[in-house]
Amino acid sequence: MIYDEPRYMPGGDRYMLIEFGNEMNLELNFMAQGLAGAIAAQRLKGVVETAPCFASLLVHYEPEDISFEDLKSEMSRLIAALGPSDDIELPSRLFYFPTAYCDPWTRAAIEDYTAKINPQKEYDPAFVARLNGLSGPEQLVRVHSGSEYWVASLGFWPGLPFMMALDPRCVITAPKYNPPRTWTPQGTVGMGGASTAIYPVATPGGYQIFARIPVPIWDPKRRFSVFEDSICLFRPGDRVKFVPVSVQEFEEAERQVADGSYQYNVVGYQKFSVAQYKSWVASLDRGKRF
Amino acid sequence: MIEVLKPGLETSVQDYPGRIGFWNQGFPPSGPMDSWSFRLANVLVGNQPGAAGLEAQYIGPTLKFQRDTVIALTGADMGAKLDDAPVPLWRSITVKAGQVLAMGAARVGTRCYLAIAGGIATDPWLGSRSTFHQAGVGGMEGSALKLGHVVPVAAGAGTPGREVKESARPPIRTDKRWDVEVCAGPNDDWIDAAGQARFLSADWKLSAKSNRTGFRLDGPEWTFTENATNKPPEHGSLPSNIIDHGYPLGAINLAGQTPIILVNDGPSMGGFINPYTVPSAAFWKLGQSKPGEIYNFRQISVAEAQAMARHLKAMCTEASII
Repeated sequence: MIYDEPRYMPGGDRYMLIEFGNEMNLELNFMAQGLAGAIAAQRLKGVVETAPCFASLLVHYEPEDISFEDLKSEMSRLIAALGPSDDIELPSRLFYFPTAYCDPWTRAAIEDYTAKINPQKEYDPAFVARLNGLSGPEQLVRVHSGSEYWVASLGFWPGLPFMMALDPRCVITAPKYNPPRTWTPQGTVGMGGASTAIYPVATPGGYQIFARIPVPIWDPKRRFSVFEDSICLFRPGDRVKFVPVSVQEFEEAERQVADGSYQYNVVGYQKFSVAQYKSWVASLDRGKRF
Repeated sequence: MIEVLKPGLETSVQDYPGRIGFWNQGFPPSGPMDSWSFRLANVLVGNQPGAAGLEAQYIGPTLKFQRDTVIALTGADMGAKLDDAPVPLWRSITVKAGQVLAMGAARVGTRCYLAIAGGIATDPWLGSRSTFHQAGVGGMEGSALKLGHVVPVAAGAGTPGREVKESARPPIRTDKRWDVEVCAGPNDDWIDAAGQARFLSADWKLSAKSNRTGFRLDGPEWTFTENATNKPPEHGSLPSNIIDHGYPLGAINLAGQTPIILVNDGPSMGGFINPYTVPSAAFWKLGQSKPGEIYNFRQISVAEAQAMARHLKAMCTEASII
């Protein structure tokens, strides 16, 4: 449900968690990001930083500048001023990534897991397709690459995006690995629950994996200007489109990344309008798949 | 410049309050675990309280100074010697070029802090010199000190012979028991009354499976309210699962039945509830405790936790120096 009034919960002496509801619903994330934007625009004294997540916003504050109760009043005022979520417009960049689906690298990680940890594990693309009533890995690729993805939150590892499919016809779900994998190749695309993630570096992981991008989303050597003042590519509210490519095209992009000539394909002129998004979603036949 | 002759067990460059402002990209603040001792070390040598210094844990490093300077050691007693002469804690001392500071295993406490007049001058990363080992960011090439590293130090003029008042030093426990303050929330309403009473009365043993991302605790079972059992399926299958949300620093994060205190290098978000949060002014106790030691948690209000932080900040100043 979406709460009539958000819940304001303390986390020690410096944090407030604002919960907008208790379900997986993009609308709650739009509210969290809308509030984060309003706080930033007002340069509210005492707020150090904010971090949106699926249904909530964490606020880090300086209690010497603002008390918990005063912060709560300020937040309540800003939320009222935001109005209904339909009025929210969020700056939103769109990243196009060449994506090798059912690629040899994630296959190797899955096969290693099957050999060493769980021989019963079904090949991830086949498993996810079957669970979601799709005809097989080919349709999984069509469905998964058919939508833009919304960066709802970042975490687990710096710069790791948790993304939701914006097109309801492309929403699929997947359980997590149990036990988790000990390694996942850098740039792997995977799913857990209803969220899609990209692994910024090689790490252990629990998502079902079925694709890989050659493009860095983590740039500690600061080789690419698109990262601006950070070494993580994404901000909450960015969008991602996975463009299926062959292994050959993947490797060509990988070479360009290595020699520094790779051009990120980013669209930066759009704003995301919640009202327009909702009216578009209302026009769709959600039962249809690509 | 300081040459690393022996690195010790994970000695790292840290500053205070660390890498702030990147939580929404998943970056933790890092920084010293015991910021009380850390800030006073800096004050002793005439630095800003948050200037970059070294955090040594369990076993300290051996360091050779390449020029005359003033240093101070605070926090854990690692039996430090300067060319074989014992070095007092909580006091600024002169070091001559070529002298060697050798630190051993922690005898009282766990983490010892070294401040050098001028402060460590490695390149800042996202506004901070703090080391975040896990991602290889900050400090010396993103890692703990290694043999042969030469740590750069900015110019500074400290005064030797300054000392921290006894009353302004953290009371590091020697009986392996710590009373640690907690605030209820954000998710205390997922734990039933019996579970809350059990949490506040039990002995919680710090597990060896603890590091700068999280302090795992061994103790009794948790019991839950209806919030934990009667919830939409997208929260996850365990009672302690919740739709992924932001984690406060210091949150007592309930991973299944195992509480993990999320500390300086911890995750920014995840799918477990946080029934309690350790406030900032109690972090030094975590930093000075060892695996196997016992925590007893004492609940205080948010206002009390904020007053503690103000008091601590006021103590980490010239007012504490004699």
